[in-house]
Amino acid sequence: MTELIEHTADTTTGPVVELSMQQALNRALHTLLAENSDTLVFGEDVGTLGGVFRVTDGLQKTFGTDRVFDTPLAESAIMGMSVGLAMNGWRPVPELQFDGFAYPALDQIVNQVARMNYRTRGAVPMPVTLRLPSFGGIQAPEHHGESLEALFAHTPGLKVAVPSDPGEAYRLLLQSVRCEDPVVFMEPKARYWDKRPVELAEPTEPVGTGRVVRRGSHGTLIAWGAMVHRCLQVAELAAEDGVELEVLDLRWLTPLDTDVLAASVRRTKRAVVVHEAPLTAGLGAEVATRVTENCFGDLAAPVQRVTGFDVPYPAGPLEPQYLPTIDRVLLAVQRTLEY
Amino acid sequence: MPANLTDDLVMRYTDLHPGSPAGAVPVLLLHGFGTNFEMNWKSAGWVQELGNEGLRVLGPDLRGHGGSDKPTDDDAYLPERFSRDFVGLLDELDVDRVDVVGYSMGSRLGWDLALRAPERVRCLVLGGFGPADAFAGTDLNALGEGTTPFDEVFRTVSTLPGNDPAALAACARGQAARPFRPEPVPEGVPFLLAAGSEDALAAGAEELARDRGGSHLEIPGRDHVSAVSSRIFRQAVVDFLVRG
Amino acid sequence: MAEETITFTLPDLGEGLVEATLLDWEVDVGDHIARNAPLVEMETTKSAVVIPSPHDGRVVELHAVPDEVVRVGAPLVTFAVAAADGPRAGIVGTVPEEESRPRRRVRLTPPTE
Repeated sequence: MTELIEHTADTTTGPVVELSMQQALNRALHTLLAENSDTLVFGEDVGTLGGVFRVTDGLQKTFGTDRVFDTPLAESAIMGMSVGLAMNGWRPVPELQFDGFAYPALDQIVNQVARMNYRTRGAVPMPVTLRLPSFGGIQAPEHHGESLEALFAHTPGLKVAVPSDPGEAYRLLLQSVRCEDPVVFMEPKARYWDKRPVELAEPTEPVGTGRVVRRGSHGTLIAWGAMVHRCLQVAELAAEDGVELEVLDLRWLTPLDTDVLAASVRRTKRAVVVHEAPLTAGLGAEVATRVTENCFGDLAAPVQRVTGFDVPYPAGPLEPQYLPTIDRVLLAVQRTLEY
Repeated sequence: MPANLTDDLVMRYTDLHPGSPAGAVPVLLLHGFGTNFEMNWKSAGWVQELGNEGLRVLGPDLRGHGGSDKPTDDDAYLPERFSRDFVGLLDELDVDRVDVVGYSMGSRLGWDLALRAPERVRCLVLGGFGPADAFAGTDLNALGEGTTPFDEVFRTVSTLPGNDPAALAACARGQAARPFRPEPVPEGVPFLLAAGSEDALAAGAEELARDRGGSHLEIPGRDHVSAVSSRIFRQAVVDFLVRG
Repeated sequence: MAEETITFTLPDLGEGLVEATLLDWEVDVGDHIARNAPLVEMETTKSAVVIPSPHDGRVVELHAVPDEVVRVGAPLVTFAVAAADGPRAGIVGTVPEEESRPRRRVRLTPPTE
């Protein structure tokens, strides 16, 4: 399926292969299914078809229909079944095919998955990792592109992970499934086909840490998922103008890494948070508040937010007008520069 | 498209490829008892077949069928009422003449249209149709309860989604009130009779064609239902309409 | 050009029908068929239908013969079609295009301090 292009270098601890995010996630699921016989992968079309995004391709063939299986088209049942399996010692990795289909399952996710550990004083943990193809960027029809991170981040008991590239996807999924808490694992659909060298190594940083993707001194761009790539494009263009931007990939939205935020903005004095979800009550507001609480005295300008608009997530052709564009991010940066 | 043509009834019809070459004669497709344009013609490959020839296709849902209104009085289904619908449709669309392709009851109605308005019909295809009495032995007040071929047909179509058994029963009685007669023959309208070799409801088609100066096509191995989609049937009709 | 094979199964014909009888093929093995061209005639208990081809390609194998009863979901025909270059989207959506050089209109003024 994939071509091995390079072997272990001095600085790495695993083989490096060129993988798309789809393939990296597939490798991670393979590793997880192989290392723990309690791990189960299921959802709509994940078995015979191998997933509409090919993420579970070949897993049923390798691990059998008892461990990788198709479910009825019933999201609430998929999550309800996950609760029952987790209560009985299994480690479920359900997939809800598209983010818009998570709404019918919210009752199970919010009322059961997120609370069971709390409700039972820790007697019944919920090691459920919900894989949720998320966000926009592929011009899909309605209900096939949503940004639900604020909803999940606002639900105590859930962890929320969002990878931004194939290597992150591999490591974050390993961490999420091994974690004893429920994790909503939001896969940015727009980056599924992005191919990069991936080091197939164990994750080394703890759950809940963000990362600096690019160093800069004049301001910090803060993002997750596909918007990390957008911010890297912006940083590249800003450098042509002599403006050096730092780019942070939060990757865990709960727990949120306030330390990495504060450390960066204290140095750069400017912060722009970028997300696809609508502005109002979006996670950008939380990030801006944390920055302000921790670095108020250091800020040269108010924290800016570049987000989707306060409208229902648009389908297909309107999407490029809805998602944060390079120019909208650049304008926000300029506002912090000239404040 | 719906049109309100006669009797305050709404008739739904389809008008496809209206941009076909000037001078080309549109084809009016008349479906059979208990079906509709979509099921009888479109799903069976006819719209594409005729479209490939650049022919404009007019496809009404007959009164009592499909998306058209479904009165339940028998008189609403006399053949002449249908013919008025078709003439009204052609007037509405400003179409002078059509080639009529019917199937089963649609053939019977096409024949009636050609008799009443020969100037509007260039030529006529009668599919799945013969001169025999389709209702022979059938109790018209207890349709579907007997064992005649028409009872069988009625049982099948009355359960199809969207069909109204009361309207279909009225339609059957309306049709039965005007038994088909092979004379007179529509004046100056060449016609082709085509039916499956196993189609009991089309018995006598070959003799009718021979005796009344029409052409005849037997579709080998097909019955009343399966003949509709036959490639042999479709191609023969295109040949008849386009190449004369 | 690279080819790949795709097998087309009997689609759901609606109205709760679970099977249909194959009346006749409109193609032979080896024929090239255009998308939406007539592929096969099938008969259900209610009507006869012509199923159009879902692909543009060469017919590699016919999985049923006339008069055979085919269950919904069973293989009907295998096509060889031209393989798409590059990644393909799933059932829904399109693969985003990566601009080699992103376009911009806004210019920045570096801070003076």
